[in-house]
Amino acid sequence: MRSVRLHDWRHRLREFWTVFSRDRTAVVGLAILLAIVFVAVFADFIAPYNPYERVGRPYERPSWRHLLGTNDIGQDILSELVYGARASLFIGFLAAATATLIGTVVGVVSGYYGGVVDEVLMRLVDIWLSIPSLLFAIFLAAVILRTGRLPMFSALILSIALTSWPPVARLTRAATLSIKERPYIESAVALGASPTRVMFRHILPNIAPIVLVEVVVRTGLAMLTEATLSFLGLGDPTVKSWGIILNFAMVKNAPILGLWWWFLPPGIMIALTVMSVMMVGRGLEVYFNPRLRRY
Amino acid sequence: MKTFLIRRAYASFITFVAVVTIVFLLARVTGDPLAELENDPRISPATVAALRAAFGLDRPLHEQYFAYMVNLFRGDLGYSLHYKAPVAEVIMQRFPYTLALLIPSITLSNYLAYVVGVELGWRRGSRVDSVFMSVSMFVRSTPYFWLAIIFLYTFSVVLRVTPLFGAVSPGRRFEWSLDWFLDYLWHYALPFTVLTFRGFLAELIYVRNVVVDVLGEDFVMTARAKGLPDRYVKSRYVARNAMIPIVTVLGMRYAFIIDGAIQTETVFSYPGTGRLVYEAIYNRDFWLLQGAVVILTLSVIVVNFVIDMLYAYLDPRVRYR
Repeated sequence: MRSVRLHDWRHRLREFWTVFSRDRTAVVGLAILLAIVFVAVFADFIAPYNPYERVGRPYERPSWRHLLGTNDIGQDILSELVYGARASLFIGFLAAATATLIGTVVGVVSGYYGGVVDEVLMRLVDIWLSIPSLLFAIFLAAVILRTGRLPMFSALILSIALTSWPPVARLTRAATLSIKERPYIESAVALGASPTRVMFRHILPNIAPIVLVEVVVRTGLAMLTEATLSFLGLGDPTVKSWGIILNFAMVKNAPILGLWWWFLPPGIMIALTVMSVMMVGRGLEVYFNPRLRRY
Repeated sequence: MKTFLIRRAYASFITFVAVVTIVFLLARVTGDPLAELENDPRISPATVAALRAAFGLDRPLHEQYFAYMVNLFRGDLGYSLHYKAPVAEVIMQRFPYTLALLIPSITLSNYLAYVVGVELGWRRGSRVDSVFMSVSMFVRSTPYFWLAIIFLYTFSVVLRVTPLFGAVSPGRRFEWSLDWFLDYLWHYALPFTVLTFRGFLAELIYVRNVVVDVLGEDFVMTARAKGLPDRYVKSRYVARNAMIPIVTVLGMRYAFIIDGAIQTETVFSYPGTGRLVYEAIYNRDFWLLQGAVVILTLSVIVVNFVIDMLYAYLDPRVRYR
């Protein structure tokens, strides 16, 4: 039995790769993303210095000793960048996963129950979306920080997650609506399955592909929001993400002083990561939605 | 049309009340707005208590909510502890600067995106199309504020053709003169370019995809089968039908450009409402931040209402739904 499953799994993977690899953009995206994930995982071995230690003179230009120079207190910028990959990806993924979780629960419940529940939840989604999302995230972060109950790190993730779930709710609701009408759902209900069971055992597995694509794409968007919030001073300065590096660079007037090696690389890294995540997301979407395929 | 207008106005009003309620709940339930003053040794407990009574913070929550709503509709958004002035006054001083940035920018970027997007959709799959798509994808993956920093560095630091910060030269006061206006335009150029460039690229892809969809419609094939010249099919059949989905997302674009304005104004120290949001964070001026959220969201709701009207005008089917 087990070997059959394993075979099935391998078979599926091969099928996935056949379709996915046809999209050159998606493959390039996957390669970039894997490289960045590799750097994030093995940061301890890749970074030449400890990014939290002073290892040079302040404001050193790029040299063989410090490939991307040093910042205002003599920390190695390349090392900051390498460790930044870890922080940025981690925060982005965590926020995206939380947002997708909230969005999926709201969407599935709303789509399955319909009626008043649906009406109320979707109205809430509309209202949520009428507040500009970055502004809302700023406000939430400020509110959470003011309570002083959560550390800055959690406040950051929570404020991103709480402002980015509504589009996921809309998407999963629409998917639930179409799946709900299928005969096997009717038979599950007829057999006496509880609504919770129907929603999470019978509907959720069928919308899992959509949810997966959302987590991937949202990770990119969450990284952008994280960078912006950190830049505006709402990040966690003890965890050096790319956004935090940019925040320090801006506070020390790096652009005006012409210290391009300080503010240029983090932005490029963010853009590369976000772009590769988008490319992979699109490739996955094409795989899961055969109608998008071009032969 | 009239009932449609009334219905939409009512829905907009409800949305506003709901947003304001959410803001109130988040702000009040999570903390004491005067906590910072209480910990400040320079302010006596008696003063804090007097302020508390003046703002009604010693009363139960529902009474506070009621008072908050009444004050809001009277135009009272609270008091900015940093600027030592009513929040509404501080915001209204800055708001014209933001509008002067947003309205021309959103108009120009949408116009350009429409013109270029129709062309790209028409030539889908061509070299021009794929170049525009790739550039747009990369730029949209960059953080907004970083793009602004790159512009600032390139034009103000390396090339030295634009100023480093502000809306006018330091120390200059507003006057009705050409000289003032030219100085303003000189400062205005970069933030405006960043917002327009970014907005253009975001909208461009959308327009292009809408046009590709429209090209697949039966009426396009009919028009072609009739032997109408390409130029005619493009302008009368495709471009016109692509307009409706574009108007639909205008409201979303406006909300998004506010997020852009917060970042752009911050980088260029342009004294608009967006920069005010940053200053409110920096100075821990919570009431000011809250006021900015309320005012900016109100502007989004108003813009959406206007767009709905425009939409109903463009597409009669909407009015009767």
